[in-house]
Amino acid sequence: MATSLSSPAMFNWKKLGRIFVPQDIPGRDWLKNFAQAPCALVLDTVVRVYFSCRPLPDAQGNYVSYTGYVDFDRHDLSTIVAVSANPILPLGELGTFDEFGIYPVSVLRSGSDVLAYYGGWTRCESIPFTVSIGLAISHDNGATFQRQGKGPLITSNVNDPFVVSGPKIRRFDDHWYLWYVAGTKWHVHDGRVEAVYKIRLATSEDGYRWHRSGENQIADKLEVDECQASPDVFKFRDRYHMFFCYKYGLDFRNSERGYRIGYAVSDDLVNWTRDDSKAGIDVSSQGWDSESVSYPHVFEVDGKIYMLYLGNEFGKHGFGLAQLTNGADQ
Amino acid sequence: MRWKKLGKVFDPSEHRLLGGTSGYAQSPQALVFDDFVRVYFSTREKDQTGKFLSNVAFADFDKAFTKVLNTSTRSVISRGGLGCFDEHGIFPFNVLRHGGKVLGYTTGWNRRISVSTDAAIGHAVSEDEGLTFNKIGLGPVLSASLHQPCLVGDAYVRVFGGLFHMWYIFGARWMTEPDGVTPARVYKIAHATSKNGVDWVPEDQCIIRDVLDTDECQALPSVIERNGTYHMFFCYRNATGFRHDPKRAYRIGYAQSGDLTNWTRNDADLHVFRSSGEWDSDMQCYPHVFEMDADIYLLYNGNEFGRFGFGLAVLEN
Repeated sequence: MATSLSSPAMFNWKKLGRIFVPQDIPGRDWLKNFAQAPCALVLDTVVRVYFSCRPLPDAQGNYVSYTGYVDFDRHDLSTIVAVSANPILPLGELGTFDEFGIYPVSVLRSGSDVLAYYGGWTRCESIPFTVSIGLAISHDNGATFQRQGKGPLITSNVNDPFVVSGPKIRRFDDHWYLWYVAGTKWHVHDGRVEAVYKIRLATSEDGYRWHRSGENQIADKLEVDECQASPDVFKFRDRYHMFFCYKYGLDFRNSERGYRIGYAVSDDLVNWTRDDSKAGIDVSSQGWDSESVSYPHVFEVDGKIYMLYLGNEFGKHGFGLAQLTNGADQ
Repeated sequence: MRWKKLGKVFDPSEHRLLGGTSGYAQSPQALVFDDFVRVYFSTREKDQTGKFLSNVAFADFDKAFTKVLNTSTRSVISRGGLGCFDEHGIFPFNVLRHGGKVLGYTTGWNRRISVSTDAAIGHAVSEDEGLTFNKIGLGPVLSASLHQPCLVGDAYVRVFGGLFHMWYIFGARWMTEPDGVTPARVYKIAHATSKNGVDWVPEDQCIIRDVLDTDECQALPSVIERNGTYHMFFCYRNATGFRHDPKRAYRIGYAQSGDLTNWTRNDADLHVFRSSGEWDSDMQCYPHVFEMDADIYLLYNGNEFGRFGFGLAVLEN
């Protein structure tokens, strides 16, 4: 028992299966495929999980992304109580940064408000898209949100010249932290233009004015062009734990080179030690998450620790849930 | 103020300009030397899709502007690579001397799908008296923000009282031409400050009052100080129909300030500028005010946004 307050040698996640399938939800034109980047907000009786989804593509085959939510019974996370009738935000106006997509969303309570930091997508000519981070605020417990401006809160700068995406907002000891994903390169391969992106950190004292160092936070494991996403930081037993996902830079739309879930630990939120062998979650031998696992989000409710994550095809067929079995209640 | 127009002083069709096979010499901006004056401008070439790319070049003039001594023979500053904010052109290009170097502020253009383009402001430094510039990074130093949602550009930077001041423009919104289809942008002049010329704090308000309507587009501010008063020259136009209707096209505006914060617009004080039957009869745009040997000059473009070159005026009083 002397070791019970230290970090586990390895996390043990028990997979509870896929808990949300977008194709099962009727009557919503904006929700046909995909349920990406799940993010939880614990409410009195439900756990509200935001996810990003897509209507059917347009005549040219182009998609847009919306973000909605699903409420699960707080005491039985496999039971859906409600699904939002509409997206939490409309797409942006002509020519603005979030005209073609709002994905992903990361939420944080701030007093009686809920803040949403989100990736806004627009389409470009020489590259398929670019992304900047926007801010919206909810005054009704996260049911609806209002943009804080038509423009982005965080966008490209000298050190982050390309996409600035995948925000994960956290507050520790009254300091604000935003882990995000910064594009470091575009390259052309087999006629496709593909991005390389890395996990970076912004800090703030008020949630509005952010300072960015422009430094990669997590060491590469696969290759220089390794792509990293979903930097989900979670404080547990007095240390900071980051679950994230990573893949090869090219030819990643298959099982061998697709997303896996990685892990790093830190005592100061700045210096991270990567050790994917501790992540404790990998692809299944068969089923909805047999080819890839990605976009982890860890949250705690009623003394239990859970991970939401995506399976095959980047969440096209929904997201699943796992429970930590060597967790806080042991 | 009374201006004497000296006519067109540079015609791009008379020179072989690197990256300038399609003409244009837009947004002339001066860097004064002891015995000549260097004027930077943006010229154009077409890419394989037939769309324009803007490239920075310069021409050196004698101080009487009677002849062109040289034009740039090397790339002054390169466009950005794939996916960079300045991949599809740099226009305009603003320069100032500071700390023994020449600082450059670019407006980088990158093409979009639903609208034609977006833009942001980059920074570069020359250590060879402005012959060539090196960017400080691949990304911009000032770009869109919560309340300035798109099209950040047209930087004009000067140091007053030890503080870097930037006047620039931002896109307030995109609307559509009367055809209901073609996107048309609305942009306004704003102000930012910096302690080091790299890290900028933009102010969120428009600083120049509209005179046409709320969709007025304001561009290319340039500022000069004389006897404690700051004078701003800029251009403005209607948001739509401005390419072919001289009544809606760019013309030059003016404002003055005693404190660099509050500006009083009074275009009538210019007492310029309209010509008839000349290279600048239908449009006057992209003014750049500068001082040389105690005289005040205004460089500017004429018809078709500078396709045929730029001209000069000198202040008589």
